[in-house]
Amino acid sequence: MSSVNTHPDTHPQAADLPWWQPGEDSTLQCVQVREETHDVKTFVFRAEPPRRFHYQPGQFITLELDINGESVNRCYTLSSSPTRPDRVSITVKRIPGGVVSGWLHDTLRPGMQLNVLGPSGEFTYVRHASTPYLFLSAGSGITPLMSMSRALTDLASGADIVFVHSARSPRDIIFRKELAQLASSHATFSQAIVCENRQGEPEWPGFTGRLDAARLLHMVPDLMARQVFCCGPAPYMASVRQMLQDCGFDMQHYHEESFNFAELATAAPDAAVDEISASSEGGGFNVHFAKMGDDLSVAPGQTVLAAALAKGMRLPASCTRGVCGTCKTKLLEGKVDMQHEGGIRQREVDQGFFLPCCSKPLSDLVVDR
Amino acid sequence: MQESAIRFQPVQKLRELVARRQPGYSLEAPFYNSQEVFDADIKYIFQRHWIYVAVSSEIPEPGDYVTVEIGKEPILILRDDDMQIKAFHNVCRHRGSRLCADEKGSVGNLVCPYHQWTYNLAGKLIFADHMPEGFDLSHHSLKPVHLKNLQGLLFVCLADEPPADIDVMLEQMGPYIAPHQIENTKVAAQIDIIEAGNWKLTMENNRECYHCTGNHPELTISLYAYSYGFAPKAELAAGLANYENIVKDSHARWEACGLPSAEIEKLSDVSGFRTMRMPLDRKGQSQTMDTGSACKKLLGDIKDADSGGLSFWTQPNSWHHFMADHIVTFTVLPLTPDTTLVRTKWLVHKDAVEGVDYDVANLTRVWNATNGQDRHLVEESQVGVNSTAYRPGPYSPYTEELVEKFTNWYIGRLGAGLEQG
Repeated sequence: MSSVNTHPDTHPQAADLPWWQPGEDSTLQCVQVREETHDVKTFVFRAEPPRRFHYQPGQFITLELDINGESVNRCYTLSSSPTRPDRVSITVKRIPGGVVSGWLHDTLRPGMQLNVLGPSGEFTYVRHASTPYLFLSAGSGITPLMSMSRALTDLASGADIVFVHSARSPRDIIFRKELAQLASSHATFSQAIVCENRQGEPEWPGFTGRLDAARLLHMVPDLMARQVFCCGPAPYMASVRQMLQDCGFDMQHYHEESFNFAELATAAPDAAVDEISASSEGGGFNVHFAKMGDDLSVAPGQTVLAAALAKGMRLPASCTRGVCGTCKTKLLEGKVDMQHEGGIRQREVDQGFFLPCCSKPLSDLVVDR
Repeated sequence: MQESAIRFQPVQKLRELVARRQPGYSLEAPFYNSQEVFDADIKYIFQRHWIYVAVSSEIPEPGDYVTVEIGKEPILILRDDDMQIKAFHNVCRHRGSRLCADEKGSVGNLVCPYHQWTYNLAGKLIFADHMPEGFDLSHHSLKPVHLKNLQGLLFVCLADEPPADIDVMLEQMGPYIAPHQIENTKVAAQIDIIEAGNWKLTMENNRECYHCTGNHPELTISLYAYSYGFAPKAELAAGLANYENIVKDSHARWEACGLPSAEIEKLSDVSGFRTMRMPLDRKGQSQTMDTGSACKKLLGDIKDADSGGLSFWTQPNSWHHFMADHIVTFTVLPLTPDTTLVRTKWLVHKDAVEGVDYDVANLTRVWNATNGQDRHLVEESQVGVNSTAYRPGPYSPYTEELVEKFTNWYIGRLGAGLEQG
């Protein structure tokens, strides 16, 4: 006689579920696709088999997609909040010509499963608790800041947050209603939106034009006292840095998520500027497997073997701590930090071998597997 | 009682064979072709005596190993992190898989390929996945095998209590071999031959040079004919006396250079051996086609290329020729009653450069030819001793005394084994 729906498929007993771990391979099942704007969708996932999602607001996950027979890895920051641990979501803007965003928008449906590696990343307020925040975002750069906002408000942390978001036009504002809702229900949360133009909504009452130092100071007079978290296209972030420096802001209190526009090269260059496509700074190195042809990204602090196993590659290995040497592999390019326990000889290292089980990349790698 | 009678029969038969062996004669056919004798050879000879298996310079660095099989006993010989050489049974303590299947290699730790049980170079189990809590790694170390290192020649013994007189050999032979510095050599070439013959035919053939004149044109270029041993004849007396003078003078000269040369003959000991530094003919430098050095870099402490050849024979399974420029070393390992592995290694100075200081074809030419000829002789002997017409024949007291010493040693040790059970 429980009033809670305990159907294991939809709401498993939390206590029985394992936690999602950083750098761990998971299968996610899409359970919902929401239209946020005309070209932005949120994809909601649950873990398969069920797990509880455990991450820091602002972190990203790496999707491992098979698109037209080609394996593509792409990082997306989570828009969801870890305070709601049964689901995660990413919010993706469709980039004209963008292979991954296009595939997600056109193909991904509830019921489909994806492989992911996650969560990872350093862009989070967690290390800067108990200070007033200024969240600055543009376009789909809103996702990590929305995750942080949702977490801080869910926790009733009382955190002082000013959220300033930039969009091309009113119809491009992502999470518009939710931002308004957060502001209306939390006394210490305020938001302001700057639209480049009023297209589609001539009555738009907010700021128009581009964010500049004067406008920023007007909206956030106590700017200097805040920790700034910024995410958006590179030109946007560059202009924010310039504004803050012009104001004499202490840049030690400035944090940004930087993007790798990996898809840019193969997609429409102009439009792709807004694609949030890849990992944060320190988001790890790429490992290319010369014989298998696989590529994978190794998260900071992760070993090459752990990353490979997480991706579903089954490399020979046993002890995972550098004792047995079963995973011994030729390192064709790159450098690693190897902490072994006798499973390899110095002369083997001199010959270019390493043990993936106890080696963390110090650069991109090419390995002979 | 039926069962014990069946088991008793072959031992009785073996004892009878041993008891009726006629000194000075070759062995009866069953010694060369019966499974019972072969099994007894493995058990009483090869698993109870010091068996020469390898040289230390094959495993120059920590983690280097070689493997060998004595009968059905796989053995692993490796160099540990303290540069010490150790031997273990090459058998995982998990489900018995052979640990290292290759004849040689290098490891960080020793890892069983089957389930990755991992041992350090001291043989201690340090990793075994999926074993229950409380599983005590320390109870599953590799089983050690006795090993003795004679200046780089590695001998192992599978007996619980190995023959202690190996120390006599180590002490007396040490000064002979040390100047050649095996530790500072490398294997320039290795050739394994499987001869279709009983291992004792291989050894007996090695212990005489009666057959040399008729069969070994390459080897006899550098060997003084008088060193083979001859029946006394008036017309040979002068030549023999001359040879004896050469030996005397050479020994004096070599001894003065720190190269012990005098004959030591202990072939009847349990760990039987014999040695002598012998003059080589013509240029007198090496067992090559022109008797000159095969390698420009001389070994170890040796200054004079003209230092003859130190020969060293061990019971039951090895012989070696140490020259100023290179070493040839031979291991004999029984495989079946009528197949035998003969493993030949040519060692040169570790810094010698192939193609510059030595040429492998030149280095190996004499013994490759000689091995091929000896193989043929052994295989023909095997065909003959398998005949019902074969009867043991008499050894020459002048040129086959070392054959007699080998077969005497063998019969004595086999008899002792049968007595001890």
